[in-house]
Amino acid sequence: MSKYSVIGTRVHRVDGPEKVTGSAKYTFDLTLPNMLYGKILRSPHPHAKILNIDTSKAEKLIGLKAIVTGKDTIGKKQGIWRRFPELCDEEILCRTKVRYIGDPVAAVAAIDEATAEEALDLIEVEYELLPAVFNPLEAITEEAPQIHEGVELNLNVNRHIEWGNVDDAWKDCDHVREDQFVCSSQAHMCMETHCALASFDYNNKLTVWTSTQSAYYIQALLADMLGIREGDIRVINPYTGGGFGSKFELDSAQFCAALLSQKIRRPVKIVLSREEEFTATKRRTPMYYFLKLGAKKDGTLLAKEVRVITEGGAYTGMGATALYLTGFFSSFPYKYPNYRYDGYRVYTNTEPTSAMRGFGAPQSTFVGESQLDMMAEELGIDPIEIRRKNGMTPNYVVPGQAFIQSCGLHECLDKIEEHIKQRGKLPPNHGIGIASYGFMSGGIFNWFDTSYAFSSAIIRINIDGKVDLFTGANEIGQGSNTTLSMICAEELGVKLDDIRIHSADTGICPADLGAWGSRETLMNGNAVKMAAADAKRQIMEFAAAKLGGNITYDMDIKDRWIHFVDRPERGISYFDVVKEAIRGKDGEVIIGRGHYTPHRKGMISPAYSFGVQAAEVAVDPETGKYKLVNVTTAHESGTVINPVGIEGQLEGAIMMAGGYGYCEDQPMDEGKILNPSIADYKLIRSLDMPETKILEIDTYEPEGPFGAKEAGEGLTNPTAGAIANAVYKAVGVRINTLPITPEKVFSALREKEAKKKKK
Amino acid sequence: MKKELKLTVNGQPYELYVDPKTLLVEALRNLLGLTGTKRGCNCSSCGACTVILNGMAVKSCSILAVQTNGAEVLTVEGLANGAELSPLQKAFLDHGSFQCGFCTPGMLMATTALLAENPKPTKEQIKEGIDGNICRCTGYNSIIRAVTAVVKGEYKEEK
Amino acid sequence: MIKDFKYFAPKTLKEALTLLDKYQDECKVIAGGQSLLVLMKQGLVAPEYLIDIKGLTELNYIKSDAKGLRIGALTTHRAIEKSAVIKRKCSVLAEMEQRLASIQTRNWGTIGGNICHGEPAGDPVPVLIALNATLSLASVKGKRNMAVEDFSLDYFETALEHNELLTEIQVPAAPPHTGTAYTKFNVIESDLATVGVAVSITLRSGDGVCQDVRIALGASAPTPMRAKQAEAVVKGKKITDNLLKEAGEIASTEAEPISDIYASAEYRRELMKVLVSRVGKEALARAKQA
Repeated sequence: MSKYSVIGTRVHRVDGPEKVTGSAKYTFDLTLPNMLYGKILRSPHPHAKILNIDTSKAEKLIGLKAIVTGKDTIGKKQGIWRRFPELCDEEILCRTKVRYIGDPVAAVAAIDEATAEEALDLIEVEYELLPAVFNPLEAITEEAPQIHEGVELNLNVNRHIEWGNVDDAWKDCDHVREDQFVCSSQAHMCMETHCALASFDYNNKLTVWTSTQSAYYIQALLADMLGIREGDIRVINPYTGGGFGSKFELDSAQFCAALLSQKIRRPVKIVLSREEEFTATKRRTPMYYFLKLGAKKDGTLLAKEVRVITEGGAYTGMGATALYLTGFFSSFPYKYPNYRYDGYRVYTNTEPTSAMRGFGAPQSTFVGESQLDMMAEELGIDPIEIRRKNGMTPNYVVPGQAFIQSCGLHECLDKIEEHIKQRGKLPPNHGIGIASYGFMSGGIFNWFDTSYAFSSAIIRINIDGKVDLFTGANEIGQGSNTTLSMICAEELGVKLDDIRIHSADTGICPADLGAWGSRETLMNGNAVKMAAADAKRQIMEFAAAKLGGNITYDMDIKDRWIHFVDRPERGISYFDVVKEAIRGKDGEVIIGRGHYTPHRKGMISPAYSFGVQAAEVAVDPETGKYKLVNVTTAHESGTVINPVGIEGQLEGAIMMAGGYGYCEDQPMDEGKILNPSIADYKLIRSLDMPETKILEIDTYEPEGPFGAKEAGEGLTNPTAGAIANAVYKAVGVRINTLPITPEKVFSALREKEAKKKKK
Repeated sequence: MKKELKLTVNGQPYELYVDPKTLLVEALRNLLGLTGTKRGCNCSSCGACTVILNGMAVKSCSILAVQTNGAEVLTVEGLANGAELSPLQKAFLDHGSFQCGFCTPGMLMATTALLAENPKPTKEQIKEGIDGNICRCTGYNSIIRAVTAVVKGEYKEEK
Repeated sequence: MIKDFKYFAPKTLKEALTLLDKYQDECKVIAGGQSLLVLMKQGLVAPEYLIDIKGLTELNYIKSDAKGLRIGALTTHRAIEKSAVIKRKCSVLAEMEQRLASIQTRNWGTIGGNICHGEPAGDPVPVLIALNATLSLASVKGKRNMAVEDFSLDYFETALEHNELLTEIQVPAAPPHTGTAYTKFNVIESDLATVGVAVSITLRSGDGVCQDVRIALGASAPTPMRAKQAEAVVKGKKITDNLLKEAGEIASTEAEPISDIYASAEYRRELMKVLVSRVGKEALARAKQA
């Protein structure tokens, strides 16, 4: 019998009816009277100086209403790492130089899309081509062309994490391995492309409806880039068709639409085409990994050394965070007495790389779990056993980095071990590979340099007991609107139906950093819980007075019934008390306020979720093709607030993470992405999707609301590693580069055969 | 030169004049204001624009509106009967078969067409039925569970 | 974005052919548009005149008699996939259609449109080649017939003249003891073929020796092609696994696959070897049952 009324129950998403009836209006669907359609002209060259932009022909086009170039901006560079100005390196609308194929150079607004496109064709841009560099291993040399002024060796960011003494530890190891891996890029492929509808009115106020993961970031960054006050900008996230890390930075659709609207004082809508989405937004950071691992013969891991070079692309974006996190999560989820990480993010003349679900951890988990299996085989130890021996436990401290409170990793290992045993003997050419992971519940480091609390919420209780919840949290499909409404209802003691959530509208909601790094449930959940508790306290004051119980009696609200905890039949309806509470406060509405910022929780995150995934593959050794048969995940994410939501996140993550392992890639030639269409970008569809099973482990995270922590991103981490290990188990070949394509498996099998023949 | 187009959408007859290059999805979204049907690509691959045309699931971004003269079109807006949702819509709600919701109208139309043609599909046939639709959020299995529940008769439509 | 065009929707075949003869290479024909509209949306094709033949119901049929099957060019992929008569008389066609793109595409796209598009990785043409199918092409000047295997000339180029329309596909009735099979290799199930192979085997009554064999490859050259040298190795012999393996190896040398982002030419050759063996085995099994 659950002690909770709302959380933990299976509910319909609060935005469900709108979505299943097609009534939900995304930015993609919105129009305003007098609206113009905008389009962006982009550089066809990977690296060039802009000598001149001649817009005169385009200006004469009938129906063309406004054109902007870099000259129309205030000349600022922006970046999401505002704390470090040198990392704010992106003009968006380029003034003097372009740094990748797709870098914007001009934008137009016209009466219809066809005219806007025609206008783009009429703009003449004179470029002076510069030598370009595409591979970070080449870009980090003296001979490489310099992409950003003053940045030697194109070294964008470097990070170092260390504890213990790795150099000393090797001699104590019985086995040391060195391995290299290459992690590929990946496109977010949100179903709704980046889009914005900007309306700069005659009061000099800007309203922007946009598909985004952080209405607040867009508001703040637009303020920076337009030179106007945040308070004069209102950013609204109506419904958003997916984010996955692609939509919390200021993008070209938002900036150009705002700039155009500012110039012409009419609403301007820009929707990026799917091709622009693939080539001119941001993508997962490709990484070159060098790992050294040392262990004792009983499987105890003694030392790990990690060196990573990442392909930064043309601008920093969130790449600095991915660089740090990949190094941090390379130490997950095991206890290393000695650890060292050196990461280098290098500019290249390619599409910028930034944040994508998992944030550097899918890469670190793929390489780490692959190497760990290789070490286990060398030592003759079972893969589960070696993970058990070294796995993190509750209340573990990652030296100098993080405090781990709840941790259900070992229970997850047990469940997966059981699952594999139950599966029994596998058919030929089948293999089960496992991977363990841990992930954060939101980040601590304030790289955005905000002075706001990281999450805030306001609750207003109306005379009829209906609750308005105002939060800056962004619903992007991950279910935050539902989860936060559930937390609110539970804390307040009412039903989910009583809550009406207003989210991600900077005009009416308090700031929240956004939906990234898996932060909404824990961070915003805590803010919502605090606000609900605040409102509840105000109601309870009146209830206590009304009921006149013994001062030692506890009171609570549950299912709209305010009652004595020990005598639940003695109470009063929540609705009645609300009326009296408002009257009693001179008619003042009941407002509850809450906020949350992690304090003294280490460098990375206030809480971490853990899990173990087992992937079963069936390989066709004659062709190298393999089928993803089954992916079973044991995971723990503290108290489960929204079970339907978590299941959805988990299964969906497998589609994305499985794709990262199996087929998704963005091959390039001289900086040009070769497959910028859904027909050519391979991803998992329903016929390719494996059977999925979820094994839930019960844990409780003290830091989270009702004990909850993240469940959106961590699940993207293990699948590529599990697949790599599964393919090895099935047919004995190890692929250390992503994606693990049938051709790679085939070639490896041929090589293995050839080696056997030689012997 | 614009062409006359007479078609029925969600049971409602319309008389339109359209530029022949107008795609069916553009006619539905821009001329009739039915924005439930979405567009997610420019190469007829994502399925977000799926509607039912004369009983068949089709990609409305890959059909000229003028080719639908005299036809009957069903979009996501036509699934519910007033406030009464269709069995599939209810099943989607119960099973959490959507997250961001952008692919959902297309998924609902593809599955509605599937069940209209074959009320008792196997699991493999259900997968095939939605293979033309990409979902980046759910991993498809919750959609398959929802359809299976409808097939099993868990959502008998009230007449 | 689609560029403007003048639009015609002829009501009869004769009307359509007259228009084609008038506008020749200035016009394009649209049937289901599942291939053409993609090109037009991306601005790669921009005809001045568009002749819409989707409404020509006279070209939408599946007929069967003792001589074989006659399929109207405007028959949809889905109709072929679901046709009871095709499942009974030529199941490989239904099987091929079932793996073609998605149901949505198959509901509106036509087999004629697919053949005329000339996609080297397409599914129908290799199967039709293996089935020894023929095509009827009509113009104001009259009608002519052509073997499917002669129809594809180059990458997206066919023998269809500017004033011609494909009207019908004829699949001759299979001789006794004939089996035909098709498969394609792809990474994602609904994708175009990385390599596609169709094999038809006819066995001689009595001794089970291979009387006739047709091996057609898709996505292995600028056009779908017959691997004639591979066929020569099999014809007239008793088919064994080793013989099929040999045929596959020869077929892979006859082919001219490209290296692209999906697969290298070498890998495509290896896939051909495997698929010719596998599809050959399947065709043989069907021939024995027939």
